[in-house]
Amino acid sequence: MTLDIILQAAIGGLLMGLIYALVAAGLSLIFGLMDVVNFAHGELMMLAMYAAFVLWQVSGLDPLLLLPIVVVVMFGLGMGVYRGLIARALSVRFNRGMVQIFVTFGLAIFIRGAAQFTFGGEFRSITTGVVANRTAEIAGVFLPLPQVAASLVCLAAFAGLLLISRTEFGHALEATREDRDAVALIGIDRDRIFALGWGLGAAAVGIAGVMLATFYYVSPNVGANFAITAYVTVALGGFGSLGGALVAGLLIGEVEALTALVLEPSLKQVGMFVIYLAVVLFRPRGLFGTL
Amino acid sequence: MKRRELLLSAGAVAMAGSAARRAQAADEIVIGAVYPMTGNAAPIGADAKVSLEMTAEIINGSHPPIPTLMGQGGGLPALGGAKIRIVMADHQNDPQKARAEAERLITQDKVPVLIGSYTSATAATISQVAERYEVPYLSMDNSSPSLSARGLKWFFRTSPHDEMFTVAMFEFFRDIGAKTGHPVKTVALIYEDSIFGTDSSNVQRALAQKAGIKVVADIKYRGNSPSLSTEAQRLKAANADVLMPSSYTNDAILMLRAMNEIGYHPRAIMAQAAGFQEQDFIKASGALAEGVLSRSSFAVDAVKARPAIPAVNGAYRAKNGKDLNDNTARQVTGLQVLADAINRAGSAKPDAIRQALVAANVPGEQLIVPWKGVRFDATGQNVAATPVIQQVTNGTYRTVYPFELASLDAMWNVGG
Amino acid sequence: MRNSILRRRRTELVGGAAVLLALAVLPLPIGDVYTQNLIIITILFAGLAQAWNILGGYCGQISLGHALYFGFGAYVSTLLFVRLGIPPAFGMLAGGAVGGLGALLVGWPCFRLSGHYYAIATVVVGEIGWLLFLNWDFIGGATGVYVPFKGDSWVALQFRTAKLPYHYLVLGFAAATWIAAFLIEGSRWGFAWRAVKDDFVAARSLGVRIFPSKMAAAAISGFFTGMGGAIYAQYVGYIDPDSVMAGALSILIPLPAVLGGVGTLWGPLLGAAVLIPVSELSRSYLGGSGRGVDLMIYGALIMVVALARPQGLVSLFGRRRGGPDARAA
Repeated sequence: MTLDIILQAAIGGLLMGLIYALVAAGLSLIFGLMDVVNFAHGELMMLAMYAAFVLWQVSGLDPLLLLPIVVVVMFGLGMGVYRGLIARALSVRFNRGMVQIFVTFGLAIFIRGAAQFTFGGEFRSITTGVVANRTAEIAGVFLPLPQVAASLVCLAAFAGLLLISRTEFGHALEATREDRDAVALIGIDRDRIFALGWGLGAAAVGIAGVMLATFYYVSPNVGANFAITAYVTVALGGFGSLGGALVAGLLIGEVEALTALVLEPSLKQVGMFVIYLAVVLFRPRGLFGTL
Repeated sequence: MKRRELLLSAGAVAMAGSAARRAQAADEIVIGAVYPMTGNAAPIGADAKVSLEMTAEIINGSHPPIPTLMGQGGGLPALGGAKIRIVMADHQNDPQKARAEAERLITQDKVPVLIGSYTSATAATISQVAERYEVPYLSMDNSSPSLSARGLKWFFRTSPHDEMFTVAMFEFFRDIGAKTGHPVKTVALIYEDSIFGTDSSNVQRALAQKAGIKVVADIKYRGNSPSLSTEAQRLKAANADVLMPSSYTNDAILMLRAMNEIGYHPRAIMAQAAGFQEQDFIKASGALAEGVLSRSSFAVDAVKARPAIPAVNGAYRAKNGKDLNDNTARQVTGLQVLADAINRAGSAKPDAIRQALVAANVPGEQLIVPWKGVRFDATGQNVAATPVIQQVTNGTYRTVYPFELASLDAMWNVGG
Repeated sequence: MRNSILRRRRTELVGGAAVLLALAVLPLPIGDVYTQNLIIITILFAGLAQAWNILGGYCGQISLGHALYFGFGAYVSTLLFVRLGIPPAFGMLAGGAVGGLGALLVGWPCFRLSGHYYAIATVVVGEIGWLLFLNWDFIGGATGVYVPFKGDSWVALQFRTAKLPYHYLVLGFAAATWIAAFLIEGSRWGFAWRAVKDDFVAARSLGVRIFPSKMAAAAISGFFTGMGGAIYAQYVGYIDPDSVMAGALSILIPLPAVLGGVGTLWGPLLGAAVLIPVSELSRSYLGGSGRGVDLMIYGALIMVVALARPQGLVSLFGRRRGGPDARAA
């Protein structure tokens, strides 16, 4: 176990961690806003990956160029999911918490079936593009370009989310988060805020999906590979905290990568799980959770 | 003719016609196939459906005779031209559901025989159902050695299992080492954490030790991982002569990319087929897959030894847009052997079919696979199944071993 | 008021007995093995959902990691049978005990966590358990454990092809969970939990000791879930971590309770009676094509029921007792 092996693994963990962070950010955003744990989050990411793949296949354009299109599509999809499904779920008088969990769970299964129906079960891959299969080597450390690009885009996305939080819309989001019953009094259309919040959350995970598709395979079940990690990341960072999602994502990415060096890699997720339990036993609302 | 007689005779003809139609429907042997039709292995199930139905058409249809077992068409001669019909069932890679589907096929569809199932956990319960209901279960593409080691009477497997496959791998190492003067001194094992990976690596470890080859990395990884970069890092550090992965399609794709990302290009990769033999892997990996070696039960380029290949492969290609591979060729073979057994039994009774399978002795020349033949031992395992070793050359797998069947020389970079 | 409660309880008991009788005779005229299997799986999952309901529904602790206890039960019972020859009729009690113990160990540190953090904690513990079992050679690891068939036997809970014995086995199991839920509903704990869900502070001020009661709920829930696992193992004949401990199962166990009506007596059975047949039948008759249609139907059904009947399917059959539920769990 030499230093450069550890260093390489650590860097890999960092790069992956930023992707986890962005996936978690969307989840955290939606939760923070309306107390809904979106169990279909992984499937939304999967749809974004398919969108990127299909557009790439049809147009031959670099997936990085297709990013804006997919983001817009995902934004619309998120709003659509809210308007069509979640809004109804929020209006129930009983059992709201469970209804949300299982409505989004049903949605996840439905989307998975629909993806198989539409695309079949094959594993698709984007094989061309400016970053595809390329690696930079700096001082003996390998930096795979797709992951680097993904990390940079994820950081940019976080910066974007931060900027949005400073705008009036961002303040409205915050206000709705704080007291969703009272905001109507100050003229905030709660329903519209929720829809935009869902759009934003879906767009965030859509960005992660497109960047992932530059180096990861696409299939109907791909969302499940990231789902557990995403939920643990959100919970570790603290539900509703975007900064928490970033820190937790990086932490979990690192822990996962380094655990695979120390233990049998088949157990590498145990590290992040243990960290979650350890943190939450001392800070019951995660690292930075306020809800 | 008087009108009444005309009507009577028309009626008689109609009745005779419908009786013949009913008899035709009755002259049909339904075979239950349990495969993963949804979930991560869904592409496998989809391909199996095509390969099985295509083979049934070859057995049933009227077409120029193909020089392969049951290739003359027209159904099963000993049963009056009875046709084979395949019924597909989805086990969703869940042993409980596999059990339920197998039972449903036996009790509702009244199938006299079961086939399937690609994954080992499902084969475990399907074979138990078969044993209890006394119906033969012909496993055609499950490769775990443990499946045939349970003393079951009604379990048959045409396919070689991973121990036989791995023996072929090490025989290749021995012979290519002797031929090129560059023997294998070290191997790295990397395998996914389910039954397939565990069983495969167990055999590889044991055989490496027997051959005096050092295992410099022994890595069990989490299947369906978001990332395999640390695992690739460990492989790079070990730097074995040959990397021996046991992986499904998605992990195979990710693994090769992960190694490439950190600048690691193994001198040789010898895969336990599975994902490495799938078209999705080849398409995704492009140039990275060049030179990958794999065991296989099928050699599409062994046309001289198996002249039926162009016709059968052509029929499959026409339906599915790709060549037969390790899995689909085994399904074709399994169904051929089964149809032949039913024919020799002269009956659709499970017990008779079982006897016919026990007595099976199919010479290799009648198959599309390069095996010595099909002959089941007391545990139901086909002991005449001889795998080949193939290598990806210009985007397709070409046979490189045994040298007599090879269509070209292996590219061997070990020790070079 | 007390009389009307007693009367309602008596009615429920009579109703329970009637349903039990109906289910007992249900399979007799049915000759089709597949249908019998369907009923068995439905009743088994109804029992599992009811066991979960005790902790998740009545007590309000939404556990999304119950497969852990199911797996414990399956493995303990099966390994005792395979390695030590202890028949599953007794082994399932041991399996239940380990399941209950597991639930206690998880509950003790985790009950202090609020709603979503608790749920994720249960998911995480479940995943750890599954990963450990997958990599633990002593219990068979990924290879799993075959249950050897040694002949029809009620003690070994094995029957070659007969379905009726299994039917009565799972019926007894489900009935036991129902009775447990019935007793809890009318007990001090049951009232305390309903009070807690409505107003935590007020409940505390009444001197209700919440934590021990939650532990008790966990133990009971875990015990029955473990027993269900042992029964499953004997029915299916083969277990491995993926089939008895994976996270997907942890979602499937509470699903009938949630859709049927969480915290109610009949919810789990009702939910199972709808969900399981839809899932099984759509897989059996639509799944063979591999188009994913069965998944779409199943997913759509869950969404529709969750939205149309948020209190659960029981609300189709009359007023929901006990007032509106609390805020999100």
